[in-house]
Amino acid sequence: MKSLPPRLVLSCLCALSALHLSSCGTLTGLVAEPESDIVYALGSREGFSSPLQSALKPACPALEFAGVRFTLTGAHEKVLTSLAAAWPETKPRYLIVGYAPPGLPEDYARTLSERRAQAVRQRLIESGVEAANLQTVGYGHDSAPSSPNTSVVVIYRQ
Amino acid sequence: MRAAPLILILLLSLLPQPPARAVTLPGWLRFIKFPAGAEKNVPRPAQKRVRVADFTGGTGTSAQQALVAELTAARQFSLSQDDPDFTVSGSSVGGRVSARILNRAGKEIFDRTYAAPGLDENLKSLADDLIYAITGKPGLATSRITFVSDKSGVKQIYLCDPNGREVQQITHHSHGAVSPTLAPDGSAVAYTSYRSGFPVVQLLDLGLGWERTVTDTPGSSFGAAYSPDGQRMAVVMSFLGNPEIFVTDLTTNTAACISDTIGAPCSPAWHPDGKRVIFADDRGDGPRLYIAEVPSRSDQEAKLLRWRAGYSFCTDPEFSPEGDSVAFTARTGGSTAVIIKGWPTGPTRVLQTGGAEHPSWSPNGRQVCYTQHGTLYIHDLHTGQRRAILSGHGQITEPRWMK
Repeated sequence: MKSLPPRLVLSCLCALSALHLSSCGTLTGLVAEPESDIVYALGSREGFSSPLQSALKPACPALEFAGVRFTLTGAHEKVLTSLAAAWPETKPRYLIVGYAPPGLPEDYARTLSERRAQAVRQRLIESGVEAANLQTVGYGHDSAPSSPNTSVVVIYRQ
Repeated sequence: MRAAPLILILLLSLLPQPPARAVTLPGWLRFIKFPAGAEKNVPRPAQKRVRVADFTGGTGTSAQQALVAELTAARQFSLSQDDPDFTVSGSSVGGRVSARILNRAGKEIFDRTYAAPGLDENLKSLADDLIYAITGKPGLATSRITFVSDKSGVKQIYLCDPNGREVQQITHHSHGAVSPTLAPDGSAVAYTSYRSGFPVVQLLDLGLGWERTVTDTPGSSFGAAYSPDGQRMAVVMSFLGNPEIFVTDLTTNTAACISDTIGAPCSPAWHPDGKRVIFADDRGDGPRLYIAEVPSRSDQEAKLLRWRAGYSFCTDPEFSPEGDSVAFTARTGGSTAVIIKGWPTGPTRVLQTGGAEHPSWSPNGRQVCYTQHGTLYIHDLHTGQRRAILSGHGQITEPRWMK
């Protein structure tokens, strides 16, 4: 089999590269997308109870976050994996509540605590918990958790 | 040598591509430093001279004295008996006030009657109208500041005047209410209520007393900000599975996402032109400031712009009434500070350090209110002086001045 002329190979590569560069407005780049980019919309909140209105029981130890980070750590993963593994037995519903420490600006504390709760929800869904059984809320520092650390996400069993 | 173009193309294609809609300001626009105190050297136009003539009628003397006191406190023009540019005269009977303004040529430019139940209320309205008629800028006497206080044991929404008086609690929810914002005309306040145990954005008409829910979606809703025309509202909602900034139309109850982030956006605020929204967004490296150009048609997408404010932790941005500056909270040296920076470029002014936060502009753009350690302050940008207008009223946070 005859090899293709070098000029033809070069032209093909040029055309492919030009096509890739011109479409970079819609491509997401060559780096693989992190899994957290796939988000799952929340279902109805009907039937979920708020910890402000009634005493709710945490389903697992509070997940502590350092600084203003909202990514999950190995310790978080371990707790969530074991929670998700036990979920199919009774299929409980969980309210995932984020809290933030008082030193942060109010509105930022609310969105940070909600973002952390959403990160926990994402991981539970990816571990097999049905999305309809998970709701989130971020209280910032408008409400304090029962734990001494206020930079936490608490998962309440409904 | 023949392979050089091929290698170049391959290297180019291997470069990670930026997100399609994220646009950043060029580096040369980032930091333009001005010498300290340069803003104090800007020449200001000479103040207009205004004479307040005697008021006739039974309460005329009281009305004239109270009007002089209001105009003196406003500092928008000099009150002078000699060679005035404008002369104010009028009458007051039983608290009702009538006033008119003549210019230097003797031409009448203003003639109004105020018949609200109280003399004070009428004179504040008159003072604001006089200031607007003469300077073209709104007065502050009738403006209101809304804020959050935990004085009752739970966070609730309050109103006060720019002197920290006439404090009024306007919410009484058992689980509290936060994140208030006043409608541009001061007729309504929108806030986040925890009445149901979950955060819901509600709107309270201050004149008629009715209340309605703006957003009650799964997840969280907070950070409401009225558009300059009062017809739309920017708000943070997380029902899509991530907090995002939405613009909701208050007449049709429809909403469109303008932030396009996987981070933690918050504290949206409108540009006075009603075409842009500034907000803070934490994409993993602390909250920074972004601008979304709000599309005029529903089939268009919002264009995002990262605004480099010069600080790595910025929240609570708010455009000045003229739209040429942004006030925001920044974290510097372990505590928060209130910063003012020219928009889109301009000098940076550190207004107050040591825990000052959540700035909000006065309607005339001459002052900024903010909180520091639970006390509400007003800072005059021309004189550089500040005064505590409300302290000892619980922990005061999130002040917003009516625009």
